[in-house]
Amino acid sequence: MKYGWMILLCFLLFPGCGENESAIKVDLTIKEQVIFKEEPGVITYAYLPQYSHTISHTRHHSLIQYLRKETGLNIKQIFPDTFDEHMKMVGQKKIDISFSNPAVYVKIAHRYGAKAFARIVEMTGKDKFRGQIICRTDNSSIQSLSDCRHKRWIAVDSTSAGGYLYPLGHFMDHGITKMDFKEIAFAPGPGGKQEKVILSVYAGKYDIGTIREGSLDVVADRIDINKIRIISMSDSYPGWMYAARKNLDKKIVEKLKKAFEKLDFNRKDHREILEAADFIKVIASVDSDFDSVRQLAARVGISLDE
Amino acid sequence: MKLGFRGKIYLGFFSLLLIQGLVIFFWVSHVVKGSMLEELKNRGISIGISLSARMVEPILVMDFLRMKVLVDETVQLGDDIFYTFVLDEEENPLIHTFKHGFPVELKMANTVLNNQKGSIQLLDIGGQFIYDYAIPVFINDNRLGTLRLGLFRTRAEKAVNKIIISVVVTIILAILIAGFVGSLLLNPVTKSIKKLHDSSEQALRGNLDVRAAPMLKKNCWEIMQCHQKECPAYKNFHHRCWYLAGTLCPDCIERKYAKKIDSCQQCQIYKQCSGDEIQSLAESFDAMTLSLKGNLSDLKNAESILNEQKALLQMILDAIPDFISLQDQEGRYVSVNRAFCEMLNKNKEDIVGRGNDDLFSGNQAELYNQEDKSILETGTPLVKENRVPGSKGPKWLHVVKIPVSEAKDRVRGLVCSGRDITQLKAVQEQLTQAQKMESVGRLAAGVAHEINTPLGIILGYAQLLLEDVGKDGQIYEDVATIVKQIKICSKIVADLLNFSHSRESIITVFNINEAIGEVLGVVEHTFNLNHVMVKHEYHKESLLMKGDKEKLKQVFINLLNNAFDAIEENGSICISTGPGKTENEIKISVSDTGIGIAKENISKVFEPFYTTKAPDKGTGLGLSVTFGIIKDHNGTIEVFSPPLPRKKKEQGTQFIVVLPSGLNMKKGELNG
Repeated sequence: MKYGWMILLCFLLFPGCGENESAIKVDLTIKEQVIFKEEPGVITYAYLPQYSHTISHTRHHSLIQYLRKETGLNIKQIFPDTFDEHMKMVGQKKIDISFSNPAVYVKIAHRYGAKAFARIVEMTGKDKFRGQIICRTDNSSIQSLSDCRHKRWIAVDSTSAGGYLYPLGHFMDHGITKMDFKEIAFAPGPGGKQEKVILSVYAGKYDIGTIREGSLDVVADRIDINKIRIISMSDSYPGWMYAARKNLDKKIVEKLKKAFEKLDFNRKDHREILEAADFIKVIASVDSDFDSVRQLAARVGISLDE
Repeated sequence: MKLGFRGKIYLGFFSLLLIQGLVIFFWVSHVVKGSMLEELKNRGISIGISLSARMVEPILVMDFLRMKVLVDETVQLGDDIFYTFVLDEEENPLIHTFKHGFPVELKMANTVLNNQKGSIQLLDIGGQFIYDYAIPVFINDNRLGTLRLGLFRTRAEKAVNKIIISVVVTIILAILIAGFVGSLLLNPVTKSIKKLHDSSEQALRGNLDVRAAPMLKKNCWEIMQCHQKECPAYKNFHHRCWYLAGTLCPDCIERKYAKKIDSCQQCQIYKQCSGDEIQSLAESFDAMTLSLKGNLSDLKNAESILNEQKALLQMILDAIPDFISLQDQEGRYVSVNRAFCEMLNKNKEDIVGRGNDDLFSGNQAELYNQEDKSILETGTPLVKENRVPGSKGPKWLHVVKIPVSEAKDRVRGLVCSGRDITQLKAVQEQLTQAQKMESVGRLAAGVAHEINTPLGIILGYAQLLLEDVGKDGQIYEDVATIVKQIKICSKIVADLLNFSHSRESIITVFNINEAIGEVLGVVEHTFNLNHVMVKHEYHKESLLMKGDKEKLKQVFINLLNNAFDAIEENGSICISTGPGKTENEIKISVSDTGIGIAKENISKVFEPFYTTKAPDKGTGLGLSVTFGIIKDHNGTIEVFSPPLPRKKKEQGTQFIVVLPSGLNMKKGELNG
C-alpha cells in the first residue's frame, strides 16, 4: 500500500517525463548568395489583370499547359499588376502574347505595333461583349440611366473596355458626359479591378459602377449579388483577343493559332480548359476586327497615345 | 517529540497543500509547456499558412520586393521568429530574411509533400533549438513553391519558465494564505478541544466543577423574557436549558435530557442558541459532568447508607450469641459473625474465603461438606444438635442450615446458624436428675414412713432384749449391734424424711450464733477426742434471722460432720459468722483442714447419695439435705476446695452459706 501511494505520487508529480523530440543539426554558417536566373527561350503569356492574379492564373493555367504541350513552346504566364504595366511590358517585349480587351489592344497596337491574331467566343456564344452599369439594389435615387448624373462613378480602368470605354460611350449616347458625374474614379491597385468596382458599389462607397458583362458571376461566391442592380448595359463590341508583340516570330504565332483552332468545346479535355478560361472557342482575328472600338475611343475622346 | 492535535492538523494541512501544490505545479508546468509548444507550433503553422496565402500573387508576378516585404514583416511579428524564406518549385530560394547569405543546409532540413498542410521539424542550430515550418504555396492545385519559417523554441521555453515561476509563486502564496486562513479557523477549534481535554482530565481527577464551554451569550430567559428565578436555567450562564431537568418553560417536558431533547429541538431557544459541533460537545460535556456530579452525590449517599446498614447488620450479627455464617455454592464462607470466629478461635479474615476443609478437622470437615452438598442439591434445610470438642470441654450446639435461593430453582448458598446449648443440656440433665430424684424422694419418703414404725418396734424390742440380756454375753453384743444398726437405719429413715420434706417447718426468729453454739455443744466434745479443734468466730452482734432453727442446726451439724469426716484426726475446723454483702444477709463459713474435694467431684457433692465416705459412715444424703434446707430459706451454699483465700499447699474445704435474714420478709414466703 505504501509503495502504491509513492507510485501514485510519482505519477502525479512527473507526468511529463519521458518526452523526447529529435532535432536535426543545421549549420547556419554555410551560406550562399541567391541570384535569380532568367530561363532562356521562354514565351511569356500575360492576361490583362482585370481580375486578381489568382483568377488569372486559375483561368489560364490549364490553357497554357495545353499550349505548351500543343506547340512545344516554353510558354510561361506572367502577371503584370496593372493595365498600364501590361501595355508597357508588351512594348518592352516582356509580354510575347497578350490576352487583353479590345480597348487595350487598340492602344498597344497603336503604340507598340502589336498584332491581333485570335479572339475568343464568350460563354454566351457571342464573339462580342457589353459593359454593365450597376448600383446597389436599395439605392432608390437611381432608377434609370439619367439618374446617374451627379453620382459618384467608379470604373475599372481608363483602359478597360467593358469596365469604362463601352459604358462611357453608352452614357454619351444618352447625353451624359464625364462632366455630369460628381466623381469618376478607377479601381485602385494591381489586379482584381472588376471585383474592386463591384465591391466598392456594394460597400456604398460609390453610387454607380461599370463592369464588363459576366463579372458579377466572378464575385457571386463572395457577396450577395442580389444586392447589386444592373441599371443599364452598353452596346456589344468585339470581345477579348490574343495579340502578339511586335516582331514575334511568325512561326510561333502560327503554332499558337493552330493550337487555338484545335480547341474543341465538345472534347472533354478541351472543354475543361475552355470552361476554366471562361470562353468556348478561340477564332482567328485580324486588326480590322477592332476598328469599331477605335471609333468609340475617338468618340468618347480617349487618345490611343495616352 | 510527540505532535499534538493542533500540530497534526497543521502538518496534515500543510502537507496536503504542499502535495496539492506540487501536483498542480508539475501538472501545470507539463500542461503549460505542452500547450506553449503546441501553441508555438500552431502559431508557426498559422503564420506560415497566412504568409503562404499572401505570398501566392507575389510569386506569380515574381514581385521580389513584395516577397521581401512580406518575409521581413513576418520576421518582425515576434522576437521568436528567427527567419522566413521562400523556395520555388525547384527548391531554389526566391527570397529570405538572412542578411549575409542564405544558409544552404536549411534548404533540405525540412520538406513538405503536396498532400501535407505543413511540416514541422526541430532544428539544432548549435545551442539553440528552432522549430522549422515548411508550408507549401499553392494556387489551386498548382504548387508554386514552399514557404519556410523558423521559430525559436528556447524563447517559448523562457515563456514557459516565466509561467512556471508565476505558478510557483502563486502556489506558495496560496499555501500561505490557506495556512493563515486555516490557522484562523483552526485556532478556536483546537482551543476548544484543549479546554475540553483539560476539563476531561479534571473530571477524571474527581473535579467535576469544570467548565469546558464558554460563557453563554444568548440566554433563554432573555429571549423568552422569563423571570422565574426558581427555574434551574434562570441566570445559569454555563448550562443550556435543554440539558437541565426541571426547567419551567410552558412547553418544557419535565424530564431529563434524553426525554426532553426531542421536544427542545423544536424550541426557538434551541434554534437560536445551539452552536456548532464543538460548542455542542463542550456544552454537553458540561451537562454530563453536572449530571455525573449529581449522580455521584446520590451514589455516595447511597453508599453511606449502605455502609451504615452493613455495619448495623454486622453489629447485630456480632451481638447475637449464636454463630451465623453464609456459604456460597462451593461451600466457601462468604460472611461470618463474631460468635462464629470465637467458636473457631480465628479471625474473620482467616475464615472468609475458606471452606470446611480449611477450618475443621478431617472427619468433621467431611461430614459438613456432605451436609452442605445435600442441602444445596435438595434445598432441604437441616436442623440438628451437634456435640463438638471445645477448649473447655465438649460443647453441644443446636445447628440450623438453611439454603439461600437467588432465583427460582437456583440455590446461591446456605446460611448456617448455631447456638451453644451446653448449659441448656446440663440444665436438661439436671432437670431429668431432679425429676428422677423427686421420684426417688417420694418413694423414699413413703418407704421411710412405712419402715419407720417397724424400725421403732424393732428398736424397742431390741432395747428390751438388751435390758434382759446380761452385758457380758455374746447375745448382748449381738443385740447391741442390732440396736446400733437399727439406729443407723432410723437415722437414714429420718434423713430420707427430711430430704423429702416430710417434716413440717417451725419458723422462728433466732440468733444464728446461738444456734451454732448449740450445735457445737453437741459435737465439740467428740471432735476434740479425735484431736480436731473447733474454732468459732462469731459476729460480735447477734445475727438474728427468721427461719426453721432446727433445720438450720441440721445444716450446721451436717457441715461440721462432713468437716470432721474429712479431717479424721489432728486438724481444725473453723466456723465463722457475719453479715453478707447486704445487711439482710448472714454469711456462715465452715472450713476444715481435711483432705479436700477433687475438682471433678465438686459439682457432685450436693447430689443425693453421692459420698466418698465408707458405707457405714455416710448415706450420701447429708449435703443434699443441707442444699435443700438452704434453698428452702432462699439462701445459697458454695463449696471451695481449697478454702478461700487460696494459698499454696493449703488443703481442706470451705462451705460458705449465705442466708437472707428474712426479717424484712413477710411470713409465709419461706416456703414459697
